[in-house]
Amino acid sequence: MEPLLKVENLRIELKTRAGVAPVIDNLNFELGRNESISFVGESGCGKSMTALALMGLLPEGIGRIASGKIIFDGEDLTQASESRLRDLRGNEISMIFQEPMTSLNPVYTVGEQIAEVLREHQNLSKPAAHKAAIELLDAVRIPNPQSRVDDYPFQMSGGQRQRVMIAIALACKPKILIADEPTTALDVTVQAQIFDLLRDLREQTGTSIIMITHDMGAVAEMAERMIVMYAGRKAEEGPVQQIIEHARHPYTKGLISCVPHIMADPAFEREELTEITGIVPGLGSFGQDKCLFSERCSMVTDQCLGARPPEVDFPNGQSAACWRAEEV
Amino acid sequence: MSELLEIENLSVRFPLRKSGGAFGAKTYLTAVDSVNFTVKKGETLAIVGESGSGKTTAALAIARLAAGETTGEVRLEGKDILPLSQDDLKAMRRKVQVIFQDPYSSLNPRQRAEDIVREPLDSLTDKTSAEKDVIVDELFAAVGLRPEQKRLFPHQFSGGQRQRIGIARALSTRPEVIICDEPVSALDVAVQAQILNLLRRLQADFGLTYLFISHDLGVVQHMCDSVAVMYMGKIVEHADRISLFANPSHPYTAALLSAVPSVDARRREETKRILIPGDPPDPLNMPPGCRFASRCPVAEARCSQIEPELKPVADGQSVACLLREKG
Amino acid sequence: MSDQATQAPVKAQSPQAPVKAQSPLSEAWDMFKHNHAAMLGLVLLVIIILGAVFGPYLYPGEPFEMVWAPFTPPGTDGYLLGTDYLGRDLLAQIIHGSRVTLIIGLSAAIVTVVIGVTIGALAGFYRGMVEEALMRFTEFFQVLPTLLFSMVIVALFGASLPMITLAIGIVSWTAVARITRSEFLRIRELEYVMASRASGASNAKLMFKVILPNALPPIIVQSALMVGSAILFEAGLSFLGLTDPNVISWGQIIGSNRQYILESSFTVTIPGLAIFITVLAISLVGDGLNDALNPKLRKR
Repeated sequence: MEPLLKVENLRIELKTRAGVAPVIDNLNFELGRNESISFVGESGCGKSMTALALMGLLPEGIGRIASGKIIFDGEDLTQASESRLRDLRGNEISMIFQEPMTSLNPVYTVGEQIAEVLREHQNLSKPAAHKAAIELLDAVRIPNPQSRVDDYPFQMSGGQRQRVMIAIALACKPKILIADEPTTALDVTVQAQIFDLLRDLREQTGTSIIMITHDMGAVAEMAERMIVMYAGRKAEEGPVQQIIEHARHPYTKGLISCVPHIMADPAFEREELTEITGIVPGLGSFGQDKCLFSERCSMVTDQCLGARPPEVDFPNGQSAACWRAEEV
Repeated sequence: MSELLEIENLSVRFPLRKSGGAFGAKTYLTAVDSVNFTVKKGETLAIVGESGSGKTTAALAIARLAAGETTGEVRLEGKDILPLSQDDLKAMRRKVQVIFQDPYSSLNPRQRAEDIVREPLDSLTDKTSAEKDVIVDELFAAVGLRPEQKRLFPHQFSGGQRQRIGIARALSTRPEVIICDEPVSALDVAVQAQILNLLRRLQADFGLTYLFISHDLGVVQHMCDSVAVMYMGKIVEHADRISLFANPSHPYTAALLSAVPSVDARRREETKRILIPGDPPDPLNMPPGCRFASRCPVAEARCSQIEPELKPVADGQSVACLLREKG
Repeated sequence: MSDQATQAPVKAQSPQAPVKAQSPLSEAWDMFKHNHAAMLGLVLLVIIILGAVFGPYLYPGEPFEMVWAPFTPPGTDGYLLGTDYLGRDLLAQIIHGSRVTLIIGLSAAIVTVVIGVTIGALAGFYRGMVEEALMRFTEFFQVLPTLLFSMVIVALFGASLPMITLAIGIVSWTAVARITRSEFLRIRELEYVMASRASGASNAKLMFKVILPNALPPIIVQSALMVGSAILFEAGLSFLGLTDPNVISWGQIIGSNRQYILESSFTVTIPGLAIFITVLAISLVGDGLNDALNPKLRKR
């Protein structure tokens, strides 16, 4: 069967003061129906840009799709008109954002904001949309939805607002839900609730989820497959648990081992964390014909500086863009 | 003396004005409520908790930087520092320094890096200019910055480098205690490791005592010797690291630990996620009894009437929970 | 994304070329240089100031001397800008008047800034009762009808140059006070202020050495615009004949010729144009400063 979403050779260019930089440089990936994948990487690696491109929300006049295809359900979104994209947004593809405090409009009640989406995309009448809003609030486990539907955002906690955002995103039963760092601003116990909710909703509705995060733990909990991005390029892709156990790209390996994880047995010797030295290069260095990770890599050779590494496929479904992937 | 820092009945409350303008009755938001703990020289105590738990307020109160009304005792080397007047604070400030959370707002954008590091020396010591130059040079090397970066301004550094400047500033007066207020939570994951390693190296080199404020249990587990868990202004559990992570005694600690997503497949299988429903109570209208009772999965009727006290349950582990009290 | 660009790619380990220590000020100048409208304003302003300083030596006409027939149109009989209703050389008047106009604009802006920053800084830093009292005081001045109030001051204490300056300053400092206060309220909560406190800084140091320099950008912009509005204000007072008739300023030229506006409009339009160009130049520079000093617009 055709995958739900297929991104082919996607290149997104961003205008900067210094010139045009490829924030996304030849990206390929697929997303199946009811599948959950995660984009992982540091900030400035192009994770959020990918999400905005899928939504057709690249910053106007600054970012543009230079080449490639985004095929959603058989339709190439890079060729779609603005009005067609508007139709899809919030309807077939929805997105929830990092900051639940600012992504709701403070002058409307949460019920009105949920109902608005339904009226826009599904032509529901006002009372029907209101009733649906209550059901959605119930679905995202907000207690007393009957009365909370008339609350304003400031009357809710951060976790509840993020639930409302999820309710809005899921109102039209989208085929894809993009979650951009959905829990970064939330407490860990609230994060656990939100993850739990997303997992259940996915089971019930069959929505595919694309989660963007920097937290390997969250990836391990939420996704089946992960794509590690570095400097606008795909560094590694594969099944989550497999990559955690044996990453094939030095960057992935660094990302996993540089974070102190809580393990089943706490009484182990705490050694120094593995460092990834340096920082993500600035946009000006994107797009060069070499491995962009080479300046931070401990395994760097002359070959890495000479040409962009091709993706190496492994029989177990992993692939890594590294000249020395076999040795990692 | 082994107890470097002793905190007794520390409370911080903020006056809030009720509706009615300047003449309305005052209400108070109690952010930290009768907190007790001690920190030994050379060890790291972590204070963990979620937003609103009062952990940062408690830490700032210990550094005499909290804005609210502070009561109780904070003894540094046996001497209470809370009654000290602004003028008498210098000696204490030399010994207690702070590393702040957000390296993007904790450095004055109009100061050069070297002047930022030098500031505590200027205000708190009588050292000569030449002595200060030597100290600044040493600190730049100690935190891994190049000497030619001294003249740069904060916006010319990356987040991790800015935090290194903040660390150098905190070290400049050779303090005994450094309060680390979420020192890595604003940094990118890969940079966090650089800073955490640096902090551990400096602790060994300078014999520092850390009071480490964090919400990230992975980081806490990596950095600390003992942990105090705060919930709504109270310490609910205080234990050494291994006891706490292996055998969390308070239901809140257990829920908190179980909520942390893990890359360890074994841990994911072994830990049963304890979901705590709902939100914390309104801090302006605190219910009687245990503050966690409304969300606690094992609460009994008495929990919402009797307020539990922090009592030892095992060697090096104290818990404030009625269900864990012996007898 | 955008903050990536601000991060200089320096790293302890990598032997890269050292980054130049660029101060926030020189960076702002870089921004300003690329703003064509602001540069135009700056060039105009420099020409006007040079004209005010050196003009009287280069064009030694007497502004109060009757030199030719009244209402000589511009360009005739060797008088580039013509003569006014008493036959005085308009060009000489404009050149001499520019000094007074600019001095009043500048010193009124200084008065404004001194009062406004002091009150705003105290209110923003100390909060509580101090803030309440100072802000009520500010609001009192804000609701006064400005023109009327300055007319009263001038009428009571005489129309000397310092008094006019003071009158303009007293009625227009409230905007600066409010801006200063809001900046102080914002900045005092930032961590670097607390860091300075932890480093043992006194309140005075916090206020003037830590917070004020960081609060300056919007205050500078506001005071630049204040120069322009002070010039307009002075013109208004002059037009009403409330300024010293023995001191020539652009507003005063307009005021004295106002009866003849229909017959010989150039006597009014020429000084009016001078005011317009000057205020426009100041506004352009002010806007340019706003863009250059506003960190949110930086590095786009």
